[in-house]
Amino acid sequence: MLQTWCARLRKRGLDTLPFWLILPTVLVLLVVQVYPAVYTLWLSLHEREPQGWFYVGLKNYNRLFHTSLFSESVGHTLVFLLGYVGLTMAAGFCVALLLSRNVRFSGLYITLLFIPWIIADIIAGLVFRLLVVPDYGLLSGILQNPSLFLPHGLSVLTAVRPQPWFGQFPFPPAPAMLYLILASSWRALPFITLLLLASLQTIPTEIIESSRIDGASRTQVIRRILIPLMLPTLVVALFSLTLSGMNGVGMIFSLTSGGPGTSTEVLSYMLYSIGWRQLRFGRAAALAMLIALVNWLLISGTLRFTRVQDRRD
Amino acid sequence: MARALLTRRQWENLLVNGALILVSVLAMLPIATTLLISFKNEEDIIRKPPVIFPCDTPETAFSWQDCRWAVEGYQRVLAPKPAAGWPGFKLAGNMFRIYVPNTLLYALSSSLAVVLLAGLAGYAFSRYRFRGHDILLTGILAITGVPLLTNLLALYQMGVTLRKSALPLYNDRLFIIFVYIGFFLPLSVWIAKGFFDAIPHELEEAALIDGCSPVGALTRITMPLALPGLMAIFLLTFVNVWNEFIAGYLLIARNDLKPAMFGLYDFLSQNIINLQVIAAACILIALPVVLLFLFTRRSFFRAMMEGAVKG
Amino acid sequence: MIRRWILIALVFALALILSACAPPAAPTAPASGQSTTAPATAVDFVTWYQYDQNNEDPASDERVGNAYLRQMIPRFNAAFAGQWNWVNQPKAFDKMATELVAAVQAGGEVPDLFQMASSMLNLFHRNGAVQDLSQWAQAQSWWDDLDPSAVQACTGADGKLYCIPVAELPHVVYVWKDRYPDGFPKTPEAFLAAAARLQSAGLYAMTFFGSTDFDGEGLTRGVWMTMSSFGGTMDDGHGNMLLNTPENIAAIAFLRQLVQKGYVPEISFAGGFQEEDAFKDASAGAFPTGLFGYRYVNPLHAPNGTVYNKRNEQDMLDAIAAGDVEFSTYFATPGHTPGCNVGVQGFSIPVGAKHPEAAYDYINWIMDPAQNADWVLGPGGGFPARISMSHTEQFQTPFYQKAAEVIKASNCRPWYGSLERPQEAKKLVMTTVYKLIKEDPTADIGTLLQSTQEEYNANN
Repeated sequence: MLQTWCARLRKRGLDTLPFWLILPTVLVLLVVQVYPAVYTLWLSLHEREPQGWFYVGLKNYNRLFHTSLFSESVGHTLVFLLGYVGLTMAAGFCVALLLSRNVRFSGLYITLLFIPWIIADIIAGLVFRLLVVPDYGLLSGILQNPSLFLPHGLSVLTAVRPQPWFGQFPFPPAPAMLYLILASSWRALPFITLLLLASLQTIPTEIIESSRIDGASRTQVIRRILIPLMLPTLVVALFSLTLSGMNGVGMIFSLTSGGPGTSTEVLSYMLYSIGWRQLRFGRAAALAMLIALVNWLLISGTLRFTRVQDRRD
Repeated sequence: MARALLTRRQWENLLVNGALILVSVLAMLPIATTLLISFKNEEDIIRKPPVIFPCDTPETAFSWQDCRWAVEGYQRVLAPKPAAGWPGFKLAGNMFRIYVPNTLLYALSSSLAVVLLAGLAGYAFSRYRFRGHDILLTGILAITGVPLLTNLLALYQMGVTLRKSALPLYNDRLFIIFVYIGFFLPLSVWIAKGFFDAIPHELEEAALIDGCSPVGALTRITMPLALPGLMAIFLLTFVNVWNEFIAGYLLIARNDLKPAMFGLYDFLSQNIINLQVIAAACILIALPVVLLFLFTRRSFFRAMMEGAVKG
Repeated sequence: MIRRWILIALVFALALILSACAPPAAPTAPASGQSTTAPATAVDFVTWYQYDQNNEDPASDERVGNAYLRQMIPRFNAAFAGQWNWVNQPKAFDKMATELVAAVQAGGEVPDLFQMASSMLNLFHRNGAVQDLSQWAQAQSWWDDLDPSAVQACTGADGKLYCIPVAELPHVVYVWKDRYPDGFPKTPEAFLAAAARLQSAGLYAMTFFGSTDFDGEGLTRGVWMTMSSFGGTMDDGHGNMLLNTPENIAAIAFLRQLVQKGYVPEISFAGGFQEEDAFKDASAGAFPTGLFGYRYVNPLHAPNGTVYNKRNEQDMLDAIAAGDVEFSTYFATPGHTPGCNVGVQGFSIPVGAKHPEAAYDYINWIMDPAQNADWVLGPGGGFPARISMSHTEQFQTPFYQKAAEVIKASNCRPWYGSLERPQEAKKLVMTTVYKLIKEDPTADIGTLLQSTQEEYNANN
C-alpha cells in the first residue's frame, strides 16, 4: 500500500516538482527584470511631449548617433575597457602566480588583498577622490609638486587630456582617465586574482616540474603550459571584467562625474546623465539598448566558454 | 651545492613575500589614508601642502605627543546627544538613526528571500532535466544584460502605480526589497545550481530507496550538504545589497526610507570641503561589511568562484 | 500532496518574512514632533525643500535653510491649527527636479508645493509638471507689488505664470579690497593689467566656476557674466541657441587668455565648488558668483591678516561690514552694461497636488510682510521680489545696501533667455566653453560654437 503510493507520488513529483520550484524565481524575474527590459525597448521608440508619449520610430537612435558626445563616449569607453581589463588581468595573473607558490601567510595576504572588493564602488570612488582632491589630497601633495612633475605639477582632477594621436580617438588618455582605470582595477583585482589562483591550483604540479626538468625556462612554462591550460578561466575573467567595466557607474559618479570636461564620460555615465539628469528618457532607453547588445554578446561569449569547460569535465 | 640551493630558495621566498607585502600595502593604502583623514581636524585637512600625519610642530617634523587627532568627522556623522537611560546618549545623526537600520532591513530580508528562491530553483535546475531547461537557465542570465539604469525607469513607474493602487500588504519598503531580490536572483540561481551539482546524486538516490519522499531526501540529505553554499549566497547578496547605490538613489523618495549608501550622499552635497566628515561616513558605512567579510571570508570565496566560473 | 503542501507553506513563509520586515523600523514621521502640535483634524500639507529641518548639524552647508524650517514649521502649524499640518520632505538640491518630473509623469506622489528655482521652469513646463498660477496670483493683494522682472522669470514660453517669485538672486563679483586698491577694473584691458600685477605678486586675478561639474552649472555663473558683459547672448529670442556671435567669441577668447596666462588658479576647474577655496584664502582677488555665495564661502583669510573664522555665513557678512570684501559689477566692453545672471527662488504647485488650497494659504502666509523677510533671508538667500519689502529694516544691512548698488549698475537677466531646454543647453555649452578655454587653447572658437548651437537646435 505504502509502496505503491510512494511510487505514484515519486512519478508525479518528478514531473511537476521542478516547475513548482522554479516558478517563484521566474515570477520575480518577470516582474523585476523582463518587464523593465521590454519597457525600455518600448521607451526607446517613444518621446515625451507635454501631452504624453509619442511614437517616433528610430529617431531616438538616430539623434543619439548625431550627438557629438556619443562618439566621444564610445572612444572613452574603449580606452577605459582596454586599460581596466588589461591592467587588472596582468596584475591579477602576477599576484595569482605569487600566491600559488604556497607562501607562509597566503591566507593573510588573500584576506588583505580582498578587502577592496568588499567596499562599495561609490565609496571606493570617494576614497580615491579624497587622495587627489586638488591641493588637499595626500597624493596631490606629491603629484602637484612642480619639481617632480614638470612644468606645473599634476592635478589629476583638473589636468587636461593630451593631444590625441589618432584623429579624434581619445588616446593617450587624460590623467583622470588613467586614475579612474587605476581605481577601478584596484577594486576588481581581488576577484580576478582569486579566480586565476583557483584555476592555477587545478594544474598538476607534475606537469610544471617535468617541463622544468626538460629545460623550459620560467617564461616558457607560463606561455606554453600555464596559459593554454588556464585559457577558459582567462576568457571568463576577461568577459566578466569587460561586462563590469561596461556597466559600472558608481565609481565614475563619485570619483570624476565624467570630468574634467568630458574626459571620463563613458557610455554608462552618459546613460545616467541623459536619462536621469536631462530627463530624456527615450534617448536614454535607446542608448541602453545599445549597451544591452554589447552585454549580450559578452554573456553569450562567456557561456560558450564555460560550456566547453563543462564538456571537458 | 646544497647550501647554494637553499639560499636560492630563501632568496625566492623573500622576493615572493616582499612582492606580496608590497601588493597588500598598495591594496590597503587608500583605505588607510581615508582612516587618517577621518581623524584629522579641518585645519590640518586644508593645509597646503598636505601633511600625512597631523603630528608636526613648528619645530619638529614629527612627534607623537603633538599629534592633533580629532573625532570631529565622526561626531558630525553620528551627532551623539545626551539622553536619559542607558547608554546615556543617543545618536541623533540620520546615518545611524535611520539609514543604517534601513539598509540592514533591506539587506537581511532580500538576501533571505534570495537564498530561499535561488535554493529552490538551483536545486531544480541541477537535479531535473526538463523541457526548456537550458533556455530558461540561459535566459535568466541573459536578462541581466539590460543596463540597470533604464530598468529603473520602469521600476519607478511600477512603484508609483503600486503605491496608488493601495494594495493591502503593500508598502515602499516591500517594493525596494522585492526589486533587490530580482536584481541579485539570477546570479544566485546559477551559483546555487553549481553547488547542487557538486553534491553527488548517489546520496539522494540512496535516501530515496530507504525512505520514499524526494522532499525528505532534499531536507535530510541535500540541504545540510548544500548549507555552506546557501550561506555563501546569503553573504554575497547581503554585501551586494548593502553596497548598492543607484537603485536606492533613484527609487526611494522618502528620507526615512533611504539606505546608507544614499545617506552618504547627504554628506557629499553638504560638506564639500569637509573631507573628514566624508571620510568618517565612508569608514562607518563600509566597516560592517568589511567585518562581516573578515569573519566569513571562506564562504565568500566559494560563492565568488562558483558565480564567476558559471556566470 | 505533502510536497505541494510544504511548498505552499514555504511560499507562505516567504510572504510572512517579507511582510514581517515592513513594520519593525517604524517610519519616523517625516516631520517628527509636528503632528503633536496640531490637532488631529489638521490635513497634512506636504512641501519639498532642499533643506532638512531634522538636520541639526551646526556645520552643515545648508544650516541656514535647515534652521529656518525648524523654526517656521511650528509657527505655520500654530497659525493654521486645525486646518493644515506642514510636513516637509527634504530633497537634495540636484535631485529634486528629476524626482518631481518623474513623479508627475508616473502619476506618483507629489508635494502640494515645492521650492523652485526659475531656471528649472522650462524643464518643468516642458514635462507638464507644474500648474498654471496666473489667475489665482493676479487676484492676490501682493500681485502688484512684485518686481516685473521676477514675474517675467516665472512666466513660461506660453505666457502663463508657473511659479510665484519670492526672492531674486542676482550674481555679483565678490572682491578682496586689498587686492584691488583702486577698485575692481571696469574694462577687460584694465583687468588684464591688474591681473598681470597680481600675478607678479604670486596671486590670481580671480577664481570662477570653470569646471563642467554639476551638469555645467558653471555656465550660469562666471562664464555667463563674461559673455553677457561682452554683449553676448545664448539665444536668438525664439528658442534657438545662438552662440556663434562676435561678442561671444570675444568673451570666450578673453576667458581663454585669462586661463592660459595663469591669471586664474587651477582650482577653478576642480569642480565640487572647490573654486571657492582660492577666494577664501585671498589667493584670488575676485570671485564672480551668486549673491547667495556668502553662505558657503567661509572661513575667510583677508590679505591684511584678519581671519573670519566663525565658519558660517556670518564670516562673509563680517568681512563685508569691515570693508575687506566688496561687491562689484563685472568689467564690460565699451558700449555694454556689465551683465549677470539672475535667478528667482519661489514656489510652484505641481500637477497632481492633493491640497492646492493649502499651498495657496502657505504662499499668502509667506508673502505676508511678517513672514516674508524671514523667507527671503533664509531659504531664498537674495532680494525680496516684493518691491515694498526691500525698504524694510532687514534689508538695510551693509551687505544688502552694497549689493543693491551693484545690481542697479548691472543688467542682470536669466542666462537661458528663450531656450526651452536649459538643462541640456547648460551641459552642452559648458562642455564647449571648457574645451575652448582650458583643454584646447588653439581650437577655433567660432567653429566650435557653431557646431554646438547646431547640435542643440537640431533637437528642437
